[in-house]
Amino acid sequence: MTLYEKIKTIYPELTDGDFGFGSIRLQNDSDGKGDYIALWNHPTLAQPTQEQLDGISS
Amino acid sequence: MALINTTTTGVLGSTFFGDGTGPLTVQQNGVTLGVYGNIPAFSANRVTTQSFSNSTFTKVQYDVKRFDTNSNYDSTTNYRFTPTVAGYYQINGNVSFAGASAGYVQVAIYKNGGQHISGSAVPNNTSVGGMATASSVIYLNGTTDYVEFYAWQNSGGALGLQTAAGNNTFSGALMKAE
Repeated sequence: MTLYEKIKTIYPELTDGDFGFGSIRLQNDSDGKGDYIALWNHPTLAQPTQEQLDGISS
Repeated sequence: MALINTTTTGVLGSTFFGDGTGPLTVQQNGVTLGVYGNIPAFSANRVTTQSFSNSTFTKVQYDVKRFDTNSNYDSTTNYRFTPTVAGYYQINGNVSFAGASAGYVQVAIYKNGGQHISGSAVPNNTSVGGMATASSVIYLNGTTDYVEFYAWQNSGGALGLQTAAGNNTFSGALMKAE
């Protein structure tokens, strides 16, 4: 399961407009370290913790 | 930086001869008027596919150089341009995603690891794919500043690139030294 899918599982109310140039930026620097949350400025939803993300089964 | 060691005045002006070390910089009262010689300019391609996760800005790995006049583009590890001459650079990039029946593609030029310029955002489609570009004039300090190119897509799953020559390019050149 990708990081995006995990976040959508935690917050199904998020839309595609929240990502990209929106308030949430997922990023991959092509350095082998994978996807990560580079920016989280959502006005009402808190950035999920690593524990929350790890708790979602893939 | 080259040193001027000889000046020959001719009918049309002066000819300056450097000592053969690096670009020749001409200054007046401490202000750089121009840099001549092997000034930084590069162009690189991506001609094999690269996978982009859904809704995730991913650095494009432009790994085939067309030219790199001053050996300032890293095409093997960090895929970034770090010029060694301070000044204002024209930076351009484009990507062509494989076709998808849904979603958009977006791109951005990053400077020093953060988004600097947002590029175009266009809908993808199964007929021609999704092609996006970004370009800007960016100041780079000639020592630590670097630029990279990131792309984003939200087709609903991972998506690759169209790999024909010229479909995915990253380029830049010095416009004015400082």
